[in-house]
Amino acid sequence: MFKYLLRKLLLVLPLLIGVVTLVFFLIELSPGDVADKFFTPETTPEVRQQIIAKYGLDKPAWFRYLLLIKNLAVLEFGTSIAHGRDVTTLIWEYLPNTLLLSSVTLLVIYPVGIALGTFQGVRQGSLFDSTASVVSLFFYSMPSFWLALMLQLYFSYRFDLLPTSGMHDPVEYDYMTRPEQIVDTLKHIILPGVAMGVASAAGAARYMRSSILEVIRQDFVRTARAKGLPESTVIRKHVIRNAMLPIVTLLGLSLPFLFSGSVLIEIVFAWPGMGRLIVNSIFSQDTPVVIGCFFVFTLMVVIGNLIADISYALVDPRIKYD
Amino acid sequence: MRIPALLALLAIAGCSGDSGPSQDAEKKWETRDTLVIAVQEDMDNLIPVVSQSAADSYIEGAIYFPTIDSEFDCSLKKIPALATEWNWSDDGTVISLTLRDDISWEDGTKVTANDILFGYDLVRDPAVASPRISYVQHAIEGKFPLVVDDTHLEFHFTHAYDRDTQAAHISAIPALPKHLLGEADRASLRKHAFGKSPMSAGPFRLAAHEPGQRIVLEPNWNFTGPEEYRPKLNRVILRVIPEYATRLIELEKGTIDLMQSVQFEDVDRLAKEHPNLRLVRRGWRSMDYVAWNQQNDLFKDVKVRRALTMAMDVDHMMSQLLTSDSGEVYGRRSVGTITPALCGVHNDDIQPLPHNLEQAKALLAEAGWTDTNGNGVVDKDGQELSFTLTTNNGNPRRAKAAVFIQDYLKQAGVEVKIETLAANTFFENLRKKDYQAALSGWSAGLFVDPSTIWHSDVTKGVDPQAVNHETPNCSDTVTDNCVERRYEFNFVSYNSAKADELIEQGLRTPVPSESAPIWQELQQVIYEDQPYTFLWWMDEVIAVDSRFENTSIDVLAPFGNLHDWSVPADKVKYER
Repeated sequence: MFKYLLRKLLLVLPLLIGVVTLVFFLIELSPGDVADKFFTPETTPEVRQQIIAKYGLDKPAWFRYLLLIKNLAVLEFGTSIAHGRDVTTLIWEYLPNTLLLSSVTLLVIYPVGIALGTFQGVRQGSLFDSTASVVSLFFYSMPSFWLALMLQLYFSYRFDLLPTSGMHDPVEYDYMTRPEQIVDTLKHIILPGVAMGVASAAGAARYMRSSILEVIRQDFVRTARAKGLPESTVIRKHVIRNAMLPIVTLLGLSLPFLFSGSVLIEIVFAWPGMGRLIVNSIFSQDTPVVIGCFFVFTLMVVIGNLIADISYALVDPRIKYD
Repeated sequence: MRIPALLALLAIAGCSGDSGPSQDAEKKWETRDTLVIAVQEDMDNLIPVVSQSAADSYIEGAIYFPTIDSEFDCSLKKIPALATEWNWSDDGTVISLTLRDDISWEDGTKVTANDILFGYDLVRDPAVASPRISYVQHAIEGKFPLVVDDTHLEFHFTHAYDRDTQAAHISAIPALPKHLLGEADRASLRKHAFGKSPMSAGPFRLAAHEPGQRIVLEPNWNFTGPEEYRPKLNRVILRVIPEYATRLIELEKGTIDLMQSVQFEDVDRLAKEHPNLRLVRRGWRSMDYVAWNQQNDLFKDVKVRRALTMAMDVDHMMSQLLTSDSGEVYGRRSVGTITPALCGVHNDDIQPLPHNLEQAKALLAEAGWTDTNGNGVVDKDGQELSFTLTTNNGNPRRAKAAVFIQDYLKQAGVEVKIETLAANTFFENLRKKDYQAALSGWSAGLFVDPSTIWHSDVTKGVDPQAVNHETPNCSDTVTDNCVERRYEFNFVSYNSAKADELIEQGLRTPVPSESAPIWQELQQVIYEDQPYTFLWWMDEVIAVDSRFENTSIDVLAPFGNLHDWSVPADKVKYER
């Protein structure tokens, strides 16, 4: 297991270099550059040159690339050209908001999906199973931005049950007590959380259902029933535990999503998260921020994979890594 | 993640901003209610020499006390603020200012002439690389400004030019606190903490900033300026909401009080369903045009360009693209790049070329373009009049306009292929002149300097704005007054000796009433040449809750003079 992990960790380095190189040159190849936002028709060529030189954009691409790699080697992400601030500071401003939204989604929505899939699997062919299948397929296929707009239209505008956007009440928040502030934030999470999580929950339900159906036909389940165990115990101890294995992998692979956020949801719900930060940075060709974000995401993908591998081995004694 | 961790996240998330409102601050005058404004993008930096975003400029207008304030009535009118008076020298090259002596920063330090000098020092410093450096391009080194004493200073210019522009150049950078920023590393000024938590000398102060979420302004209770500048509102909150549909829902729910750029198709419904909203038209700061690249042989003949304009039914396009459901048109025909808002300068006598398909075809025929092979496309010397009309993506109005144009020109026997490019690529292609025809737009400035768009694109000769205009022949030498300038925003490579002469003459004429006829003649000359097909100037519709009074929504800003905004006691919505 240790050797396996070491091997995996050693693979991170070329992967990170590959991702950073790809992202750097993709931005480099696209027309225009981040300094464009400083220019107006009144900007004289001399000033233009001064600004370009100030941000080091007058240096050749290979030179800036080597400088970038050198800085990344000491985990120095540099300064955002568009915002004029440290990339690390920027990421720390936006990351907690994304973590909050995605962890609520994962913690609340996934269990719902898993429970739904379990009931469907256990009651295969019932009216409940067919209805739930249609409903989960419906939500699985629905574009999240459209669902987001519909949720806003009905739950916020028509029925006025929940806030439309933002992370908290813009006017009253400053005058609330701490518990009131937490409740207020939770109220603001519901709609974006649902919009972001429904498709994942529907996906998890589909996975769980087929996994249950596979396990429930196994010999050891028949044996458990034959030896007289109550049906609830058979399902709980033998079926669900074994059926959870693919779901554990799914959860591990969802870890990067915890950090990257969902661009469309963050834009529609005015949620200041990583998705918005990275998309705005890509549009303004702010290379240091884009590289910084992708660096973090890549690390998360690797760590997520590792966690999935480890938990797989932990929950399934048959699996051993050499 | 367990529940306590989640609670911790709940506590951290969204609270990474600066200090909150000073709830316990003692009110020194009466204020009431809160104004909530939706903005598309967040603030970036509040040091005016390096700030960039629209939100930055809105906030700077509220927290800094302007050297000279302005209002707009056909042209920028200057009104006293920090400077109580200003006078030009006889030759128009020096402006002397007298400052108030009762304005202080929040910490009690007096605002003096040295703070103004400090701001301009920063703009000039190459280490700062300020995008505002064009404000000091005609400054005399060491005398821009020359501080006489704490309340008197002089701005010295290399030469006299349009006085409105000169006044704008000396008031564009407000006084900045030298005692706080004097020691700052200028090369990393944009990273200085002051940019996120500035010290105010104006009516409002920045109370809180939550990145990507909201910006809270509250009255600066230490404001020592004139009473009429004291805010009447408890707070102004700018909410960052990037998506139009979300802003619209928030507006209709009443959770925001002001929204910019309401789409024309929503105007009638909002007026009908929400009588509490006032819908204010704000014109005319932006225009659309079709640029004909005159480096391309197809568009070198003025007859062809005029024919292409006459083939387009611009009024019909406006009735389809700039119109509310009830048929109200939110725009007017454009005949140039000088906004009609500058009513003394805009040439109202220019009659737009009429839509006349037959005349358009006749003009094309005169220029040698006829359909010799009967395939529906006119041709000349074996080449068909067929080109690509490029526009930027993300602008539905221009995308629809491109289709209309394609259809109109087809009727005149001209084949148009439409190409939509990402904005970055599109604008880079325009600057490099790597396109055939382009559908694009300009935002209008409020003082006149057509040189950036219309001066011959590469000029080797007398700098039109330089000191000595007597220099005889510049063709071989490059000196202080003889320079090579590239006007890369002259996207179409428009080259007219008459226009160049008028531009240079206009820029050298300091008194606006004397330069106006020159600018009007210039507009006529350019319109005759049709380097663009000028399409329209657009209104912007701003929706604002009608409980607010003394709102300044005009061509200068969508929400200016926030200190004037007030709510009558019986209409207050938020107690705090």
